[in-house]
Amino acid sequence: MAGSDDIIHQPLRLKIMAALSAEKGQPLDFPRLKTITQATDGNLGSHLATLEKAGYVAIEKDFVGKRPRTQAKLTPQGRKAFRAHVDYLRSVVEAAEDEGG
Amino acid sequence: MTISRNDAAAALSDIENTQRRGMTLRGYRLGGPILMLWALIWATGYLTMGLAPPELWLPVWLGLDVVGVAGALLLARTGKPAAAGAPPGMTWRLLGGSLALMIFALSVFWVMKPTEPAAAMAFPGLLIGVIYAVVGFWAAPRYAVIGALMFALTLIGYFLFQPWLAFWMAAASGALFLSGVWLWRR
Repeated sequence: MAGSDDIIHQPLRLKIMAALSAEKGQPLDFPRLKTITQATDGNLGSHLATLEKAGYVAIEKDFVGKRPRTQAKLTPQGRKAFRAHVDYLRSVVEAAEDEGG
Repeated sequence: MTISRNDAAAALSDIENTQRRGMTLRGYRLGGPILMLWALIWATGYLTMGLAPPELWLPVWLGLDVVGVAGALLLARTGKPAAAGAPPGMTWRLLGGSLALMIFALSVFWVMKPTEPAAAMAFPGLLIGVIYAVVGFWAAPRYAVIGALMFALTLIGYFLFQPWLAFWMAAASGALFLSGVWLWRR
């Protein structure tokens, strides 16, 4: 059984990964990601940077008209790591249920 | 790091809640333009009721309904959520839901035979209002607000502005349009 992924398991990073994972490869822009994860600007930015550094998230910056836009999406490595972490969490819950009878 | 059963269950619950919130927002983004389209259709339909003779009302509304359903299908197919994994069978759900609504509305008119035009004009507003409210309470809260607004505007028009109800309802479509913008922008 694979272990916990400490980078993903932090509460806000877990929400970021969950939100991006549900987009099936489509990027999410910063304001929508902020709404979905219920994070503040500063928190979201710093945790996104951590996930980007780990290679789990790709950040794209561009302009829509004159307005700057930041979008994030999962990398293949991030998708794989998130799946593995969710499998691990399920296995912990199931193992505890089995032990409890 | 080892995770306890409670921590793991809480994390899985967080994941589920986050993904549900994302799905609701995707639904709003998909529903917004459809609501805007129906607002224009309503405005056209009610203006027709205010300006054209009654024998034209049914064919005009039927034509507008077909345009509305076709437009909604097109918007649902081309919307971003479809690419991001819209629920399967979306086309059939939309078609079936629209058809059921049209049959229900026509059946109510045939059975109840409203004698005053104002009752016939108010009925769609009340029907749509209550449907949105139910959807709102079950799945996506913003629809409850929109439903309550439509319901209230329809009743206000019926009781306070009955002689101009068709024009009142056409104007109320503006609120429906703004509601669509509100859904779409978030």
